[in-house]
Amino acid sequence: MTYPAIEINHLRKGFGSGRKKNQALSNLSLSIQPGEVFGFLGPNGAGKSTTIKLLLHFLKPDHGSLHILGKAVGQEEFRHRIGYLSEFPVFYDHLTAGETLLLSGRLSGMTRQAIDQRIPMLLERMNLTEAADRRVGGFSKGMKQRLGMANALVHDPAVLIFDEPMSGLDPVGRHQIKGLIAELKQEGKTIFFSSHILSDIEALCDRIGIIHKGVLLYSGGLRDFLVAGVGLEESFVQIIEEADRASFA
Amino acid sequence: MQALRKIWFLALSTCTEGIRHRALWAIVCMAALLTMANLGVTTLYSWDLGKVSVEFGLSAVAFTGLLLVFFLGMKILADDLERSRIFMLLSRPVSIWQYLTGKFIGLAMILLLATIILGLSAALSMRYVLWLYAAFVPPDFSWLTCVMALVCQWLSLVVVLALSVLCFSFARQPFVALLLAVSSYLVGQNMELLRRVVVENPQAGALAGQEQLVVALSWIFPNLSLFDKKYEAAYGMAFSGQEFVLLCLYAISYSALLLYLATLLFRRKELA
Ligand SMILES: Nc1ncnc2c1ncn2[C@@H]1O[C@H](COP(=O)(O)OP(=O)(O)OP(=O)(O)O)[C@@H](O)[C@H]1O
Ligand SMILES: [Mg+2]
Repeated sequence: MTYPAIEINHLRKGFGSGRKKNQALSNLSLSIQPGEVFGFLGPNGAGKSTTIKLLLHFLKPDHGSLHILGKAVGQEEFRHRIGYLSEFPVFYDHLTAGETLLLSGRLSGMTRQAIDQRIPMLLERMNLTEAADRRVGGFSKGMKQRLGMANALVHDPAVLIFDEPMSGLDPVGRHQIKGLIAELKQEGKTIFFSSHILSDIEALCDRIGIIHKGVLLYSGGLRDFLVAGVGLEESFVQIIEEADRASFA
Repeated sequence: MQALRKIWFLALSTCTEGIRHRALWAIVCMAALLTMANLGVTTLYSWDLGKVSVEFGLSAVAFTGLLLVFFLGMKILADDLERSRIFMLLSRPVSIWQYLTGKFIGLAMILLLATIILGLSAALSMRYVLWLYAAFVPPDFSWLTCVMALVCQWLSLVVVLALSVLCFSFARQPFVALLLAVSSYLVGQNMELLRRVVVENPQAGALAGQEQLVVALSWIFPNLSLFDKKYEAAYGMAFSGQEFVLLCLYAISYSALLLYLATLLFRRKELA
């Protein structure tokens, strides 16, 4: 029996309590199959990062369940099989890039030998070879982002969860990440990522989910979403505006 | 086995991170200078030079250790949460107790290193004073007792560190955690005094007749004054190996308990 790579059922999450309660997610359900590239879009504050933090059990859901590769999040161990890139990757400032990756590999249960083989390759792939022995504290935003990517891939996980992988990157870096995601897809990895860059989503994704104010407006094939003749951007703006109008009415 | 390895890697990286921090070396250098001030301060006293020197040296180590726990240690812990550095670690198969224990051991190793460096510099200055004023060397003075006193000093820092980890696991703001840790340190420091006042003095005011309460409190808050062996070292008083072992056991079991509680509290925490 094969499980969906990621399965989210009737997820609800609010911050604060009483009258100040802010419902960040209401009744979100999603299912992502193995080998799929899934793009998660939505305006600022829609609840994308919240969903991702719930998937990693950094936040606890108010209601609903999450499963990754058939394992219940928060109850069973699955983290050796996922790679995570956070929205704002932060590392230990005084460790070097190489040491950071070494620590991550070790914590993921890799052997020293496997790590030593993998790190130079990843650094090379992310254009960080020269920076390998420099302390991360001195890295630029884009360099940290690329190190974050290497960090997510160090243990060669089956499922990748990226929160805005392209943010802070120069055009060359973005192009590289796009190439990387395409390559990972070729290898049969499942990729769940959020992004504001619609052209990237259009180029990479099989399926997309659109979330607005914590409500899932659409989830399904990318092709089916595109209204005939209009691009992703128009369709996206249209569905958000419609939702806003509906909520005012 | 796997769990222990992970804890070790976490400890090692925490230790590396701390050692490369400029704050650590600033504090340690200041303190080393302070212990050297021993040479100046002791000459102000015309009697008991030797004792003053030994007490002064050990106090400098204790004070520096506290600075390190409250500033460097708490900063490293706070940054993990504040700057969500913890995501990098907890997105891997690392459980909360492994994370907290790893951090704790790493920081304890930094404290040990600082204690050794400062112990050496204090010993040098003490050695010099005792050599200069040989007449004032406390009778029965023993370096072994000094080393044991130093180890006790470190143990008390380790307990304070465990206390800080606990404070972090439930306070939302790092500042609140710092405040809580400092105040429980102060309570712990004066616990023995309070206990003695209440138990030995029938007219102890509001706490009179509350011996049980006070004894209970002295068990809840760490009895840090037990670790204070400066006096014994300065006066060359006997300090039995048995007492030393008991103190070690007390520090270890108390810290383990605090870390366990911290784990329970931390599990319920939202990390965002
Ligand atoms: N720790 C928190 N405490 C309180 N509210 C929060 C917290 N984290 C998120 N929120 C709220 O939850 C909602 C969703 O935020 P989230 O970060 O998931 O948005 P996002 O879709 O990732 O936006 P962006 O595109 O800007 O990254 C927002 O209204 C935000 O204010
Ligand atoms: Mg976000």
